[in-house]
Amino acid sequence: MNKLITRRRALQGTAAAFAATAIAPKLVLGADPINVGSLTPNTGGGGPFGPNIAAAHRRVVEEVNAAGGVLGREVQLTQENSETNPETAVRAADKLINVNQVIGILGTWSSSVTLGIMPKCQEAGVIQMCTSSSADIPAKDEKGLVFNFQALSPVWGDAIADLALRRGFKTFSLMALNNDFTGSMIDAFAAKVKAKGAQVINEPFFYNGGQSSYRTEVEQLIAGDPEAVFIPAYVTDFTAVYKEIFRSGYEGQVISVSIATGDKFKEAVGEAANGLLHGVPVPPIGSKAYAMYLQEAGLEDTGEVQHPFGTAGRDQMSSLLLAVEKAGSTDTAKVAKAIWEVTTGPGKKEVFSVLEGLEAIRAGEEINYSGASSSVEFDNEGMVLGRDFQLTEVQDGKDVVVERLEFKG
Amino acid sequence: MTFYFVSIATYVGFFMIMALALNLQWGMTGMVNFGVAGFYAIGAYTSGLLSVKAGWPVEWAMLAAPVMGLIWGAAVALLSIRLREDFLAIVTLGFGEIVRLFVLNEDWLTEGPRGLRIDARPLGGMLDRDQYAYFYLALVAVTVLIIFLISERIRRSPYGRVLRAIREDDVVAGVLGKVVLRYRIQVFALGGAFMGLGGALYAHYVQNISPDVFMPMVAIFIWMSVIVGGAGNNKGLLIGAGVVMALLEGTRFLGDFMIWLDAEKLSALRIILIGVLLIVVLRLRPRGLMPEEKFRYNP
Repeated sequence: MNKLITRRRALQGTAAAFAATAIAPKLVLGADPINVGSLTPNTGGGGPFGPNIAAAHRRVVEEVNAAGGVLGREVQLTQENSETNPETAVRAADKLINVNQVIGILGTWSSSVTLGIMPKCQEAGVIQMCTSSSADIPAKDEKGLVFNFQALSPVWGDAIADLALRRGFKTFSLMALNNDFTGSMIDAFAAKVKAKGAQVINEPFFYNGGQSSYRTEVEQLIAGDPEAVFIPAYVTDFTAVYKEIFRSGYEGQVISVSIATGDKFKEAVGEAANGLLHGVPVPPIGSKAYAMYLQEAGLEDTGEVQHPFGTAGRDQMSSLLLAVEKAGSTDTAKVAKAIWEVTTGPGKKEVFSVLEGLEAIRAGEEINYSGASSSVEFDNEGMVLGRDFQLTEVQDGKDVVVERLEFKG
Repeated sequence: MTFYFVSIATYVGFFMIMALALNLQWGMTGMVNFGVAGFYAIGAYTSGLLSVKAGWPVEWAMLAAPVMGLIWGAAVALLSIRLREDFLAIVTLGFGEIVRLFVLNEDWLTEGPRGLRIDARPLGGMLDRDQYAYFYLALVAVTVLIIFLISERIRRSPYGRVLRAIREDDVVAGVLGKVVLRYRIQVFALGGAFMGLGGALYAHYVQNISPDVFMPMVAIFIWMSVIVGGAGNNKGLLIGAGVVMALLEGTRFLGDFMIWLDAEKLSALRIILIGVLLIVVLRLRPRGLMPEEKFRYNP
């Protein structure tokens, strides 16, 4: 028979070669992949932060797969966009749970999304890891499957009040955007201020986002001429609120949260931003894991806070994968238990990256993962125990750190 | 995978209920209602609050939702005494926002921005998770069928002819001795009731509702369903609801094929694609996929 290579045979060969490369990575790592979902706010209100979280998730997974996976299995990551909207997010979670068969959904940011997908996740026994601040999160997590990498909003209020009091202010007025994150912050702020002998002189109130003018609200806020006003907000509404304060000629100190005062805010208000104080929980700057994060993300170490939520993304994926290795299975109840074992508790070997941790677990050591967003210690409800906070002042259009509060575990 | 389709089919069902209701109001009678999300929220919160806070049995709570929708529908329809078309559109949009802001700010009642967790659901605890998904789909499908049959009955009846007459020219309908306002109120209230029922079904399905769910975007999806399907045609908009959901959800799978796109680019691309596909559909079929049938006089 003639053994010449025909055109058809050549095509078949090429197709087979392509098919082989397509499935090759899976063959190397053995049978079933471990499926993990990431649901981040890539557009909408969380748009400035979601992409960082998503990228951090992906980097950790790539790193782990390159080093041979977890439990000898490939980690398969599926990423979805929550659009910062619970209506959309529920359907995205549905896909992650039922199509991709994920063991965990990581990276939800706004509380309404985290809480919105919670019934579905609890029913299917899926682990949730989030950076949401609603105090309702631990209460509604009946199965102990939710881990929060962000301080709850009362902690924000308490810490920022503490930092503000160190600046010597005696009288405050408060108002907050009416949402789950900012709303519950002012109670804790007021409580701290009163406990330290300073005064809240107005009746703290909420305003609604999306208004074109905030004149009435601002006039009500500054009516008693307080030394400082505290306004936890989002960047979208805070820009309009701040412009109104500037127009009113108020000469006291304005304090807000850093997520409302990013570059977009500074661009919009220009030099009027100078003198504004803002506070936020920060990565432990100078810590080993934070330095590693900056390198992985290709960022220069400027000594300032960068990617406050991206760092949490790294820690979410790292602690989940470490817990899977530790638990020796993908059974979510066991993995959830193992998350505490690999992150929390004294007297263990401290590790700063997922690869270090995997190596130590395989060597039979007990580990404590210390992260880029915090030291990642959980209370028994799965809420992160403590984070560093810092208060920053805008000077000449740039953020300058003025006070820092370090968490001592 | 099967459960995903069951779940998406359930969401399509919610869209169909809302689209049928909007078609009654706008497609047949010409009353523009941009407050769809508000009626959806009224239904969802009525049923949710009655079952969570007042301790009503979930079945009764769900039946109270269309009653609330009916009452508010009639109330809003009274606005159409002096307002119609674009003016009514603005007022209904305002109504939807009032409902959302009420739910957001009256947190003593609604839990405000924290959202309302609803554990109660029909036949809850009697079925396991897999069976429940099918049961709920069946429940929604039966509701869609009933509302569809009612809408079709109205469309084919003399009553439906009056509605179309009002849509085309209400002065002519009035001159012919029809009490235009009465028809308007009746139809708007009925549509409101269907929307309320849709909201209740949604609330007990997702089991966690918050004001963020009821943004005006929901109304836009329902409008898209009706316009793509074919205003005035009940069968068409069932297809329209399916097409809109297929666009919203189908584009999620792009990431599985286009692995070179990162999550951020993919999210943007997805939303652009939804817009482009809608434009294409409407360029090719300006009256929708199934335009309204022409009625002929057959003695």
